[in-house]
Amino acid sequence: GLAGAGWLYLRREKERRRRQRRLRDLRALALGQGDFQLQDTSGTPRSRADLLGRWVLLYFGFTHCPDVCPEELEKLCRAVELLEAVPGLPPVQPLFITVDPARDDAAALGRYLRDFHPRLQGLTGTAEQVRAAAGAFRVYVSAGPPDPDGDYVVDHSVLTFLLGPDGLVRDCYGRSRTAEELAKSVRGHMESY
Amino acid sequence: AARMAAPTREERTACWGARDEFWQCLDSHGDDASKCEKLRRVFESRCPQQWVKHFDKRRDFLKYKKKLETEGYIPPEAAGKS
Repeated sequence: GLAGAGWLYLRREKERRRRQRRLRDLRALALGQGDFQLQDTSGTPRSRADLLGRWVLLYFGFTHCPDVCPEELEKLCRAVELLEAVPGLPPVQPLFITVDPARDDAAALGRYLRDFHPRLQGLTGTAEQVRAAAGAFRVYVSAGPPDPDGDYVVDHSVLTFLLGPDGLVRDCYGRSRTAEELAKSVRGHMESY
Repeated sequence: AARMAAPTREERTACWGARDEFWQCLDSHGDDASKCEKLRRVFESRCPQQWVKHFDKRRDFLKYKKKLETEGYIPPEAAGKS
């Protein structure tokens, strides 16, 4: 009845205000506002401007990652699938940026990302370019010591960023969020954009 | 030296499966690794060395976390006294 509608309104209002506060906090961090110069899996140069006009779910990782990156990518792509099933929502671009450019060249990235979502894109570059891109998003990156084979793992922040069509970070999600929670949050951002 | 390619999806799945079987064996033998040597070897053969190290650390962490949850935190000095 009326009480139920009132409660629903209050809950939505609370959500909206929480989202506004979070947006303000993220803007204050100036997350991801620097430009980046990277290349996609076909070798085409890509910069921040190429992302404008679309919603983007961005994850930083590396292809030699034991478990976290495949799990987070599965989650990200599952969230994209859930959103694709909602009629009337704009498409979301899933995006992966490597934190291990020494090994993750365009070909390696292409091979790796093929297993996930058909629209999942990947970006790589020189060590300097990747360092700048990770830095712009305050993503911590630290390659571990190599073993006798030359193999190593890269310690890095595990975060999925939501970028709005204006290119600004609208939210970021950690390991504990599920695909359903991601999709719900993205949808909320889209509806209040 | 040729760069090692990253494990494919199939190789990842095989590695994780071997890890899970090894861990299940450890779980059912009170973490006595000597009872799970064969599965340990399979695990090591299916996973890159770096991943084996990573998963070993993860297992230790999960055990420590469980211990904290069940026994609570005991500061080192207090544990020494009896």
